Amino acid sequence: MFHKIDKKKWYSIKLFLFVLPFIALVLLFSYYPLYGWLYAFYDYRPPRPFSDAEFVGLKWFKSLVENPVKVAQLWQVLKNTFAMSGITLGTSWLPMFFAVFLNEIKCVPFRKFVQTVTTLPNFISWVLVYSVAFSLFNSTGMMNTLLLNLGLIKEPVLFLQSSEHVWLTQWLWLTWKNLGWAAIMYIAAISSIDDELFQAAKVDGATRMQMIRYITIPSLLPTFFVLLMMNIGNFLSNGMEQYYVFQNAFNKESIQVLDLYVYNLAMGSGSYSVSVALSMLKSVVSVILLVGANAVSKLTRGESFL
Amino acid sequence: MKKRIVSILLATVLTASMMLGGCGGKDTSTQSEGETDAQEEASGDEDTSKEEASQGEESGEEEAAGTEEAAPPAVSHDTELTLEVYDVAANYQGIQTGWYGKILKDKFNIVLNIIAPQVSGDGEALYQTRTAAGNLGDIVLLDNADMLECVDVGLIADMSAEIKSYPNLMKYWEQIEKFNEGIGEGIWAIPTEMNTNGPTAYMGETVSSMPRIPWDFYSELGKPDLNNLDDLLKVLSDMQAAHPTNEAGDKAYGMTLWKDWDGTSIENVNQLTKWYGQEVNGSVLIGEDHSITPLTDKEGAYYKMLKFFFDANQLGLVDPDSATQDWNSACDKMKQKRTYLVWNNWMQGFTNSPETGEKGANYMGMPLADMKVFQTSDYYYGSGRVFGIGSQVSDENKARIMEFLDWLASPEGATVQHIGTEGIIYTVNDDGTYTLTEDGYNRFTSEILIPEDQGGGNWTDGNNQVNQWIVASVEINPVTGETYGSDLWASYQEKNNTKTTKEWREKYGAQNEVEYLKNNGMMEPVPSINMSLAIDTTDIGLIRSQCKTIVCDTSWKAIFAADEAAFDQLWDDMCLQLEGFGWNDLVAFDTEKFQPMLEARKATQ
Repeated sequence: MFHKIDKKKWYSIKLFLFVLPFIALVLLFSYYPLYGWLYAFYDYRPPRPFSDAEFVGLKWFKSLVENPVKVAQLWQVLKNTFAMSGITLGTSWLPMFFAVFLNEIKCVPFRKFVQTVTTLPNFISWVLVYSVAFSLFNSTGMMNTLLLNLGLIKEPVLFLQSSEHVWLTQWLWLTWKNLGWAAIMYIAAISSIDDELFQAAKVDGATRMQMIRYITIPSLLPTFFVLLMMNIGNFLSNGMEQYYVFQNAFNKESIQVLDLYVYNLAMGSGSYSVSVALSMLKSVVSVILLVGANAVSKLTRGESFL
Repeated sequence: MKKRIVSILLATVLTASMMLGGCGGKDTSTQSEGETDAQEEASGDEDTSKEEASQGEESGEEEAAGTEEAAPPAVSHDTELTLEVYDVAANYQGIQTGWYGKILKDKFNIVLNIIAPQVSGDGEALYQTRTAAGNLGDIVLLDNADMLECVDVGLIADMSAEIKSYPNLMKYWEQIEKFNEGIGEGIWAIPTEMNTNGPTAYMGETVSSMPRIPWDFYSELGKPDLNNLDDLLKVLSDMQAAHPTNEAGDKAYGMTLWKDWDGTSIENVNQLTKWYGQEVNGSVLIGEDHSITPLTDKEGAYYKMLKFFFDANQLGLVDPDSATQDWNSACDKMKQKRTYLVWNNWMQGFTNSPETGEKGANYMGMPLADMKVFQTSDYYYGSGRVFGIGSQVSDENKARIMEFLDWLASPEGATVQHIGTEGIIYTVNDDGTYTLTEDGYNRFTSEILIPEDQGGGNWTDGNNQVNQWIVASVEINPVTGETYGSDLWASYQEKNNTKTTKEWREKYGAQNEVEYLKNNGMMEPVPSINMSLAIDTTDIGLIRSQCKTIVCDTSWKAIFAADEAAFDQLWDDMCLQLEGFGWNDLVAFDTEKFQPMLEARKATQ
C-alpha cells in the first residue's frame, strides 16, 4: 500500500504533521472549553455537582433582558466596552508612529533607553500598577501633598474616586503600560524595509519627513492592518484586570466592561450559568465583528485574512 | 530573512491570541485575578468573629480536663500531621506559627494550614472552587447555611460514631444535638461560641454596637448630654476641630470606614443600625421587637444611619479614604487614635488599657437618649458558624482531629485560646483565679515578645489564627469559677476601675453601659438562636448578587453625595433599580427565611 503514496502526498503529510501540535493545542484550549457552554442551559450552583443540575433551557438568556432596568444595565456595560475598546482602536496608530519616530533617533544609547523604559511597564501586573496609582493619587498621596503644599487646592482631590473622564484616564493608564510593547512589532517591521528604497529616496533628494511619509509608513501599513483586524476581533474582550483593580463604587458605572461584568456576576454570587450565557453572547458578537471587519478589508483593500 | 522574522512574530501573536481568546471567551474564567479587594462577606451576627481580634482570651496549661472514662480511641502522635483548616473567620492565611503553633505541635504534633476566604481576595470564588473540587479542607469552619449545603453534597464527615467518647465536647451535647437535628440523621457539625449559662443570659458589660468616643476629648468639651445623633455629630465635630491630628501629627477624622466587609449592604452602616433596634440580615431589617421590614424602608434604621454618615461627611468628619481603604488600614487608624467614633465593643480594645484609662483617655460607650439597642443574648446555642470535618479525611486522621477539637473545648484549650499562656499573659492567684500580667493587659495594644523556647515572635502573630472558638469567652471555667474571658475577672475589674471608668459611672449613674441601658429601658437582649435557615436558590442568588452591588455602590456614593438632594436622588434611584433586579422577590424570600428564627425568639422570650 505504502509504496503507492507518491512523494507529493508524503510531503503534504509531513507538513500536516508539523501543524498537528498546533491544531491539537487549538482544539484543547479553544474548542474543548466550548463544552462549558452547557452550563448556560442548566441551573448550576456549587457546591452541588453539575450532574445534579436541572436543565432550564434559555431561562438565563431571557433573564438577562427581562425588564428595562436590566437592559439598561447591560446597555451601559456594552457602552463602556465599546467606548473603551473604541478609544483604544482609534488610537491604535500611536504605537506605529512611536516606532517610526523612535527609529529616527540617531543616538543609539538614547534610543535603546527610551525603548526599554517604555517597554518595561508592560511587564508590571495591573495590581502593582494600581498600588502605584493608589500611592500617587490617594488623599494623602504624592499628588495631593504636592498640590496642597503648592497651595493650589485646599482639600485633597479624590482622583481615584472620581467618576469623571473614567474612559479617558483608563485609556491613559493602558497606553502608559502598552505603548512600548505594542511598538516592538513595528520596530521589527521597519528594520525589514528594504534599505535600497531609502538609498534611492536619498539620491532623489527626499527629506527625512518625506522618507517617513512615502516609504516607512506605507511599508508598515500591512502590519498595521493585520493588527487592527485582530484588535477588532478582540473588541469585546478588552480584558478585565485593569478595570477590576481600578473599579470602586464611584466609577463602576463607567468602568464596568463586559468581561468585568461577567466576572462580577459569576464570582460575586456563583451565578455561573448567567455568566456563561452572557459570555456566549459575547463570543457570537465577536465573530460577527471579525467577519464584518474582514468584509470591509476585502472591499477597501482587496485583501482578506480569513 | 527580516521579513520572515516579522511573519513569525505575527504568526506567534496570532496563535497566541487565538488560544488566549479561546480560553477567555467562553467558559467561566474561574481564575480570580487581582488581589486588591480583600472581600469579605459580613452579614448578620458576625461581629463576634471580628470581635475575637481584640477581646480577651485566657490560658491555662495546668489542667487537661480529663474525663477520660469514655475512652476516646488512642491516637499516635508520632507523625507530624498538617491539617488544612478552611476557616471563614480567619484574618490570616497560611501556617499557624508562633506560640500557639508550638503548643499544637508539642501537644498533638499537628500543624494548621489555615485557608482564609476573607484574606484570599475573593472568598466566594474560593469556596465554590474548593467545593466543586470536592475537598474543602480537613477541618472546616463555615456559616450554618453553607455547612448544610456541604453536608448535603457529601463534603462533610459524620461524627456521630465518635463524638460520644469526647467528654469536653459532650458537655455541649444539648446544643450540638439541637443544631444537628436541623440537618438530619447524624452529627455533622459542632456549633461555636457555646456556653452553659442559659439561652437568654447576657453576661457582657458592653453591647456589641453603640457610639464609643474618647473620654478625654469628651471631657474637654464639658461632657455635654447626648440626646440624639445630631448631638453626637456636634461633639465629634468639636473634637475634630480641637484635635485635627493625633499626637504623631497624622490627620484624624471623626470616623473612618472601610469597604471590605460589605455584604448585601455596607457593613459599617449595618453595625450602626443596631443603635436603633434593628439588625440587618440580608435584604431585611430584623427588629428587637421581632418585626421584619425591607432594608430599603425609608423609616428603617439603614436609611437613618446611612444619612448619619452622609451628615457626618457634610461636616467633614468622614475620612476621605473610607470608600477605598480596607480593614487593615482602618484598624491602624483606630490604633493610632486617628478616628474619634468607633462602635463595636471590641474596637475599644485597640486603644483602651488601664494606663490610658487612668489618664481618663479610654474610649467609652455613650448612650444617646433616643437609642434602643439591638443586642442578642450570649450565643448559648452557637454563633451561626460551625466546625465540621472533611469527608475525605482518613479514619486515623479523623481521630486526631476529634482529639484536637475536644481539646479546643476543654478548659485548658479554651484558656489558651481565650487568654494565652501562663506566666506570660496571666498568673494564678492563691485562690486559684487568674490575674493578667502587665503584658497580658497590653497584649492587644503593644507588641509582646514571646521567649524563643515558647515559640518566639510576638504574641499577636502567634495567637490562634483560627479566630473562632467552640466555647465562648463568657463560659465559666470550672478550674477558676470565673469566665474564660478576662474582662469579667475580679482582678481585671479591679484594675480597670480607672479614672475613666469612675468618671463615666459618675455621669451615668450605673456600673457599666449594659446596666445603664437596661435600667433605662434602652435594651432588652434578644434571645440568640442558632438554626439553619433556607439556602438561596440560583434565582435568589443571582438577584442577591446584583442587588448587593447596587446597594453597596449606591450607599457609598450616598455617603459622599454633594448635598441632600443628591443623597435623596441616589436613594430613590437605588430603590427603582433594585425593583428592576427583583428586590421584592428577595425581600419576600428573606422574610420567609427568617420567620422560623423570629418564632423561636418569641418562644424563648
